[in-house]
Amino acid sequence: MKLSTDKIGDVIVVTVLTKILDASNAEEFKIATAPILEKNNKVVFEMSQIKFMDSSGCGTLLSFLRQLKSSNGNLKLCRVQEEVRMLFELVRIDRIIEIFDTKEEAVKSF
Amino acid sequence: MEKNKPLVLIVDDNSTNIDLLVNTLKNDYRLGVAKNGQKALDYTEKHLPDLILLDIMMPGMNGYEVCGKLKTATRTKDIPVIFITAMTETAHKTRAFEAGALDYITKPFHTAEVKARVRTHLLLKKAREHEIYIASKIQRTLLLGQPPRDINGIQIAQLTIPSQKVDGDFIDFFKLNNQCFDLVVGDVMGKGIPAALLGAAIKSHFLRVLNELIRLTDKKEFPDPEKIISSVHSSMIDQLEDLETFVTLCYARFDMAKYLLSFVDCGHMRTIHFNADSNKCSLLRGMNMPLGFPEQEPFKQTLVSFKPGDFFVFYSDGLTEAKNQDGVLYGEKRLVDFVQKNAIIEPKELIKMVRKTVVAFSQSDIFDDDLTCVLVGIDKKSNSQALTDKAKLEIKNDLKELARVRAFVRNFCENIPDFPLNNNRISLIELAVTEVTANIIKHAYGKHTDKQIQINALLLDDKIVLQFYDWGKAFDPKSVPLPVFDGSKSGGFGLHIISHTVDEVVYSRDEKGRNHVCLTIYK
Repeated sequence: MKLSTDKIGDVIVVTVLTKILDASNAEEFKIATAPILEKNNKVVFEMSQIKFMDSSGCGTLLSFLRQLKSSNGNLKLCRVQEEVRMLFELVRIDRIIEIFDTKEEAVKSF
Repeated sequence: MEKNKPLVLIVDDNSTNIDLLVNTLKNDYRLGVAKNGQKALDYTEKHLPDLILLDIMMPGMNGYEVCGKLKTATRTKDIPVIFITAMTETAHKTRAFEAGALDYITKPFHTAEVKARVRTHLLLKKAREHEIYIASKIQRTLLLGQPPRDINGIQIAQLTIPSQKVDGDFIDFFKLNNQCFDLVVGDVMGKGIPAALLGAAIKSHFLRVLNELIRLTDKKEFPDPEKIISSVHSSMIDQLEDLETFVTLCYARFDMAKYLLSFVDCGHMRTIHFNADSNKCSLLRGMNMPLGFPEQEPFKQTLVSFKPGDFFVFYSDGLTEAKNQDGVLYGEKRLVDFVQKNAIIEPKELIKMVRKTVVAFSQSDIFDDDLTCVLVGIDKKSNSQALTDKAKLEIKNDLKELARVRAFVRNFCENIPDFPLNNNRISLIELAVTEVTANIIKHAYGKHTDKQIQINALLLDDKIVLQFYDWGKAFDPKSVPLPVFDGSKSGGFGLHIISHTVDEVVYSRDEKGRNHVCLTIYK
């Protein structure tokens, strides 16, 4: 899975370059992200490419959140598509992970 | 026993004459007496006597007028009338016959002659009634076919009011498969048993021709209506010419797979097509001559496409030519207006209302002609079999198949006309099927990716049903712990998502060890 990263200050913005994040590629996503999380603890996921996500995708994000919090960091999201936002509301992720409309807002919030 | 005796009405203003006639007839018949013309009409309307003995010279309305009135009303026009009068000139007798009398007895009369004539006319009347009885039996059993009940997405309602004189209206239905049937409505020129028998013969010709043509053609294709009519025509033209009659008809094929009507109209009444989109009626005009005309161009069929909510009205001239008391015809325009105004009503109810309105118009439920009407309604909601084949997908037990499952469900949901599912709703359905399928793949078969999962998508009246089948391990949704929303767990959201994205979810397992998940989405 392709990810592109952009370091702004001590925050790293990860743009997820996939349209789908579901049970078929959640593991791949985890593996691709692992090296980034090892080196950074303030992470923003830029989600604008993702049109579809399922519970596996949510589970992966929650595991990232727990990992980052344990190293005194945090995970924030930005530019979440409406379809994905409906899922976040269903599983109440929107109450646990902060979601921003723009990358800049997300970076600034740390 | 008394009741079974024929009822004879004596109409005379002279008490002596009345007494004489009563004494002559009282042992053999039930008798009614009226002392003037108006009373005679009232009595007749109320009791429908089997025969009327009618004096000509009476104060007020005379016998000719009474007879004339009786002959114009459908209910009373077939009651035999015998004039009894002192007037003996030929001119009077002729006028009586012109007024509709069957016989004429001059005063002074011999009681034996009165008895004989009354008896003869009652026997003739009975014979005529028997003919009508036979003819109406022919009609009911041979001429009027029953509509198929199991054509997908279509409702058929039928109205027949047999007249006292049977004519040759006929209707038949030929079911070709679950999505296609043919309807033929026709009218044989002429009345009585000959017309009825000819109608029955034509019906059987249709069956025979249809059978032969289907045998000859490729089984996937049914013979075209124009081909069917041509064959029926050439096999019947000699018979029709011998009988010096002809037949008007409309042969219509409803194809629910294509939402297409193809019809051949041969001089029949124009079929009404109510178009739900434009809320307007159009009249379907054919271009062919009736069957029985020797110089016949090749028969041509006409194609008309239809949509959910449309309906068609086929009828015989008995409907539009029903008369009111002033002799005004009900007419095509009145029928079209009525249909248009009540188009929202279901066919089964609408046809009852057609009957009511024609009866109200003519102020009688007895008609001169057979009255037939067939309503074919296309369901307002299109059905899955008709438009979006009942869809089926088989996938392997592999998470890579999830995208295919979503594409299959999205494609099914997007291609249902008149089923309002916006993009967000479809996205939620995609989410639900992803969760269901991923659960099956992860838990039912272990790690065997060669196993099959079957998915069906169905559109029923007001809902979409998505069925998932697998032959793996049993699954008990109660064994799954409730989801935790504090971020401490990465899993356990699947069932929660499924139950919050569709209207109904049922998990079951049959005796053969097949697991079944059924998702329902209501309109």
